[in-house]
Amino acid sequence: MSQSQTSSGPILTTDGIPLKVSLKKAERINKIRAFLLVLPLLAFIVISFLVPIGDMLARSIDDRQINTVFPKTFEVYKKWDRQGLPSEEVYKTMFFELKNSEGYSVGKASTRMNYSKSGWKSLLKKSKRKFKKIEEGPFKDKMIAIDKKWGDPEYWLALGQMVDPTTMGYYLNAVDLKYDSSKNIVQQKENRRIYNKTWIKTFKVSVLVTLFCLLLGYPISYLLATLPMKYSNLLMICVLLPFWTSLLVRTVAWMVMLQQKGVFNNLMVMAGLIADENRWQLMYNQTAVVIVMTQILLPFMVLPLYSVMKTISPTYMRAALNLGASPLHAFYKIYMPNSIPGVSAGCLLVFILAIGYYITPELVGGKDGQMVGNWIAYHLKTTLNWGLCAALGAILLAVMTALYWAYNKIVGIENIKLG
Amino acid sequence: MRKAIKAAFFGLISMAFVGSAIAEITFVSWGGAYTASQQKAYIDTWSKGSGVTVENYNGGLGEIKAQVEAGNVTWDVVDVLPDQAITGCDEGLFAKVDQSSFIDDMVVPPVSECVVPQIFWAYTAFYDKAAFPGKKPKNIKDFFDVKKFPGKRGIHTWANALIEMALVADGVKASKVYEVMSTPEGIDRAFAKLDTIKDHVVFWSAGSKPLELVSSGEVVMSLAYNGRIGAAILSEGKNFEYIWDATVLEQEYLVAIKGGNEAEALEFMAHASTAQALADQAKYIPYGPMRKSSIGIIKKGEPWFIKEGGNIDILPHMPTAPKVLKRAVIADPEWWADNGAEIHERFGAWKGS
Repeated sequence: MSQSQTSSGPILTTDGIPLKVSLKKAERINKIRAFLLVLPLLAFIVISFLVPIGDMLARSIDDRQINTVFPKTFEVYKKWDRQGLPSEEVYKTMFFELKNSEGYSVGKASTRMNYSKSGWKSLLKKSKRKFKKIEEGPFKDKMIAIDKKWGDPEYWLALGQMVDPTTMGYYLNAVDLKYDSSKNIVQQKENRRIYNKTWIKTFKVSVLVTLFCLLLGYPISYLLATLPMKYSNLLMICVLLPFWTSLLVRTVAWMVMLQQKGVFNNLMVMAGLIADENRWQLMYNQTAVVIVMTQILLPFMVLPLYSVMKTISPTYMRAALNLGASPLHAFYKIYMPNSIPGVSAGCLLVFILAIGYYITPELVGGKDGQMVGNWIAYHLKTTLNWGLCAALGAILLAVMTALYWAYNKIVGIENIKLG
Repeated sequence: MRKAIKAAFFGLISMAFVGSAIAEITFVSWGGAYTASQQKAYIDTWSKGSGVTVENYNGGLGEIKAQVEAGNVTWDVVDVLPDQAITGCDEGLFAKVDQSSFIDDMVVPPVSECVVPQIFWAYTAFYDKAAFPGKKPKNIKDFFDVKKFPGKRGIHTWANALIEMALVADGVKASKVYEVMSTPEGIDRAFAKLDTIKDHVVFWSAGSKPLELVSSGEVVMSLAYNGRIGAAILSEGKNFEYIWDATVLEQEYLVAIKGGNEAEALEFMAHASTAQALADQAKYIPYGPMRKSSIGIIKKGEPWFIKEGGNIDILPHMPTAPKVLKRAVIADPEWWADNGAEIHERFGAWKGS
């Protein structure tokens, strides 16, 4: 032993390289190997998760489309004082840029312009067709003669919101605000304020669903964790069977149950508890959304709760009772704190699922049960206003991240347990 | 094991190739009795009919735009509404079509250069005769009058046709509806009229829902697509009655998606828009063909609608029947392409408040 220590200096391996270097090399190879192993997963996450989210965030502020079609118009537009109508020069530039535009750029730009002021779409289309015959000015008068909308300052003022290549307009739109023509932030017209109400409704429904899931799920999970195996297995199947049933089937089944001429109301009338002409409105409103979503999301509460409760040793409770605590006190002091990781995991899971829910509110929500997800779907499919969809989605994402952050601060994320 | 996986993998790949060789085009429509009528009238009769894959969708350009932007077009021919036909053609989502063979034979001119004609369908009010043993609702005013005819009304979750009907119920002439709608006061007036039934409505979004709502007594009257009502009366023997007043006529077109199997798609569309094909479709569903000569074929062939135990005259069930047209509103897709987004937001605010 002492022989190898005689020479001073770094320890060498048999082939004369210092041990430290050799070790580092081996470690590096290991690191690369480990990295290569996770590379497919990493690539998968980047491609299927980060890129789409990045694309979504970019879309929510992107306003280049129209600037690429009418770049010169916007240049001269910026000089306009926004009083009355713009000068002949603005009309002239607009005229030639519209007349000479190619392909589908105008179609796409007009869709965007139509979000700011309804009517741009047909105005551009009709004008482009008629501009072909016009060669020289005065353009202002000729354009107004083609369509009197060209003489309406409202249309010109609406362009002011689109001057910059990036915009916060979609985000403003998503919280019932908008830019006026000089890019000041103002409230949306009263009869078009829908998003704030929808946000509040979405949170209200999500909180209620989470709460009801917890209230219903806690005792079920407790039973599942404490009953003897043969009963608890049966109970587990009762929890899982609906979980495996198609979402649509469950939703439609609730419709049959709860509608005014449905099973529940019929039973109540038969029992004489309510009058026939006074049946309860349980379907196609917010109540229906809360009831159906609670049932659908319940397994997401029960399963994490159960897996945590299963690990709480029954000896703790016995010890507490043995030491003189009342059952209630023992539950409050011993069982509940131990089950908190499951509670928080379940609540977080249910809330996050609930806040973005779409199909159930769509089917049973009726007029006042629509949530943010439904508006995203609407703009995605019908108005093609994907910028607004992206903004709504980004706000949802931000809310979720904020919740997660707050949760981490208060409870600590290491306390979460899914099983 | 490895070999087995490899074999399975290659098997899958070759299946995908074989699959694409059989499935010539994917035809996307709205499902239900409507798609069934298309299947019988012009998919089954097409020489390559076995190569057509049929899918359902719920309207809107969202999926199509996503497919075209991602360069991964899986739909070839889609059945679209006119305002979408306009927007999609303007934005370059659809292929242009040679319209010379039918353009002079159409009841109204086509809305864009990308479409072939299909049918007129209509939003119309209806009720179950059993729900009104005494006085029966006769016009759209009665639909909006919850004092005279108490009970819930079924309406759809979007604003199209509702604005038009509300205005007619408020006394506007059917021919003047879009003039009034182009003023802000006109829209206010429509919403004020809608307010009068707001507490009495049940919303539907799927086309089969209003029939269920009326059958089960959940509502006493409802708006619905006329073809669904007709199919329920003609094929299922339901005791429904139309309220042919302020019926809002909408157009329906086929388009070919750019970047899909365009050549086959256009060939199929030519076959699916012949006067005979459109007339044949009316054997299975009471929608109105958009080609004038189709009506002639049907007139000659009456009773045209196919039913077990004897065919039935179809013209009285069509939204293009003269007595219906007299009191109908022909929907203006240009107006909706311009104002749709704003009106829908306002309608959303109205629903939620």
